[in-house]
Amino acid sequence: MKLGIVIEIFKNVFTKPMTVLFPFERIEIPERNRGEHEFNIDTCISCGACARICPNLAIKMIEVPSELREKYPKTYPQVDLGKCCFCALCEDICPKGSIKLTTNFYFATFDKDDTILYPVKAE
Amino acid sequence: MTEINEQEIAGDFSMYFGPAHPGSGNFSIKVEMRGERVLKATADPGYLHRGFEKLMEYREPMQNAVLSDRVCVLEPLQWNLVHAEAVDYLMDYEVPERAKYIRVILAELSRIQSHFIWYAAMSLGTGFMTGFNIAIGYRDYILDVLNLITGGRVYPAGYICPGGVRKDLPEKAENKILELLPKIEYMRKFALKQNPAWLARFKEIGTLTKEEAIKFGAVGPILRGCGVESDVRRDDPYEIYDELEFDVPVMDEGDAYARFTVGMQEIEESMKIITQSIDRLPKGEVKTPNLKPIVQFQKAEGEIYIRNELSRGEGAFYMVATGQKTPYRVKIRGPSFTHMIPILEHLLTDVAYADVPAIYWSMYQCPADVDR
Ligand code: SF4
Ligand code: SF4
Repeated sequence: MKLGIVIEIFKNVFTKPMTVLFPFERIEIPERNRGEHEFNIDTCISCGACARICPNLAIKMIEVPSELREKYPKTYPQVDLGKCCFCALCEDICPKGSIKLTTNFYFATFDKDDTILYPVKAE
Repeated sequence: MTEINEQEIAGDFSMYFGPAHPGSGNFSIKVEMRGERVLKATADPGYLHRGFEKLMEYREPMQNAVLSDRVCVLEPLQWNLVHAEAVDYLMDYEVPERAKYIRVILAELSRIQSHFIWYAAMSLGTGFMTGFNIAIGYRDYILDVLNLITGGRVYPAGYICPGGVRKDLPEKAENKILELLPKIEYMRKFALKQNPAWLARFKEIGTLTKEEAIKFGAVGPILRGCGVESDVRRDDPYEIYDELEFDVPVMDEGDAYARFTVGMQEIEESMKIITQSIDRLPKGEVKTPNLKPIVQFQKAEGEIYIRNELSRGEGAFYMVATGQKTPYRVKIRGPSFTHMIPILEHLLTDVAYADVPAIYWSMYQCPADVDR
């Protein structure tokens, strides 16, 4: 009986493990990794293209809180990460590059409200 | 749930294999048993139905590209490709050469990682945890490269999009892919190593004859494991497959082991395809000129049936455009449907219960693709 597989398995005892000791070690996240959104309200022209292309209707165009409405009078995208599938179509379509996906993927939270990214937070 | 049939023999009862069985994955089979033997099996799909065909009628092609990932969780890039080809035809897009090469390289990488999962699932189903762990570990090396290129480990989010691919390969991606090949080869050899337990579980189990395979509509490695040489990449080439040299592995036995061996031999052919494509990778654009981020079928009219060779066999998209923004009708033909319902039911007649997982996993199933 040939036992090639057993020898191979025992060889593996002496090799380096494939996994890393998270959180002390982390694997490198490539630049293209589609994670949390980063929104720059100052360059946004409120065209609403991102909200139109979003396949999951995760983007809603909303008004900013009343105290900031003078500075930002139009409507701006609010992203609901709970609905988002991280397709980056919003990033591709934005004419001003105001909405971008970063590499951050640590989203675990106990509060559902944390999953909503407001265009701007009131002070 | 166990039902005991009191009128007949005391050992007669029926029960469910799955869907909560760790090795069954969103699919269940009702088995009618007499003692240890399975007399009859009835497939019970539907746990993963998401209604893609209807959803696609409400979305524009670029959004559907993102959705097409999820038809089969284990081979998303290949489903991306079939969808993109259907839209390319209806919109009359000229796909640049470089994009075609990138599409093929990614589709083949996706095939290899999917075959690794096959080995992992067969190991898991028959209690060989080491095989499962090693295969999933080696698959992860491929996922790292897919993450580098598409931005997602499992889901590329429509990376292969209508009109080409969404982004060009990042710097050094070619080298990263070439560095992967020795690892893939190691894993492939490992999977084919003499393993007495593995042979005992899969040899001469779940034998499907050539005639039955054709009658039931088997495709892909299942059909090639029964001695029929059929491969869409060869018979009806798409993208650049007609320019590449590769073989179509075939085995005559038709049992679970033959099907699996065909799959592992295909990995070698996929590696050949990847090496050739990287060698010849031309420079240039990766998207058809003037491709807008929003693609709509407003000027497109007609219908198309496009088929590709996925990891599990022939998969196809039928799409009708009638000049509206969205497709009028989409029909998806997945390879797992025939494997999982008529063929599985046929193979699971009069077998030992212990062979059910071995036969089940040897069908290279994807419940996501059965239900859609
Ligand atoms: S990444 Fe995709 S799903 Fe998420 S907000 Fe942007 S368009 Fe919508
Ligand atoms: S983020 Fe970009 S696409 Fe969205 S409204 Fe602002 S400018 Fe338009």
